[in-house]
Amino acid sequence: MTIYLLCFALFLVGVYGLITKRDLIKIILSIGIMGYAANLLLILFGYRTGAIYPILTQSTSVQPMVDPLPQALVLTSIVIELGTTALLVAFAVRLFQKYKTFDITKIRRLRG
Amino acid sequence: MNNREGMTLIVKTVTRLTVWIILLYGFYIIMHGHLTPGGGFAGGVILALALLNVMLAFGHKFTGEWLNIHSLEHIEAASALLFLIIGIIGIFSGGSFLINFLSHGKLFHILSAGTIPLLNLVIGLKVAMSLFLVVWVLAGLKILKGDVA
Repeated sequence: MTIYLLCFALFLVGVYGLITKRDLIKIILSIGIMGYAANLLLILFGYRTGAIYPILTQSTSVQPMVDPLPQALVLTSIVIELGTTALLVAFAVRLFQKYKTFDITKIRRLRG
Repeated sequence: MNNREGMTLIVKTVTRLTVWIILLYGFYIIMHGHLTPGGGFAGGVILALALLNVMLAFGHKFTGEWLNIHSLEHIEAASALLFLIIGIIGIFSGGSFLINFLSHGKLFHILSAGTIPLLNLVIGLKVAMSLFLVVWVLAGLKILKGDVA
């Protein structure tokens, strides 16, 4: 239970950065931290203490395995997170080209 | 290679030696995807990082001359089509999409698991090219000076 709460604390770190920071780059990093916390939680759901990795090996003994389904899910999630991060960075670069600043309180009026 | 762009001579020399080793390691991870941890995605990321290493050390302009960026885009587009073709061959040979139409081979050998190594290779190329091209495009954008918050 404690590790899940720590995972939630990591998520709250991302939420704190998303709410309080004014720099666009720091906001993108906060969104990344929130994504990592969600991925970590999914991986921890599939974790079993004392189990082996879910890969067929040449050893003959049968042991409990870690659940591979959340790992495959998180692999997809990481790829999607990469795509969203690249899109956010591209948006930030375009905004910097127009407004010459990363401060979101100064990005207000239309400028072309 | 005597351009002033990029990092210092030490970084350039080390990168010139290590980029091939990193590429080889990426292909090793891809080709052993059905036997060991790793696979198409992890190996593709390693391939992309090898190319990005060159971009960081030698600069954007040199990498554009060293690599043929247009052919990398074609590889990226073609790998998605190859995945689809391998899947459709499964329909014609076995009855369902992505069914295994090759020999299973012996267990724990490198030429085993049917079409999975082929699909791993295709996915690895796709991931490597798309990840490299995203950072390449972002690094090529012109940014003027401004005041940072």
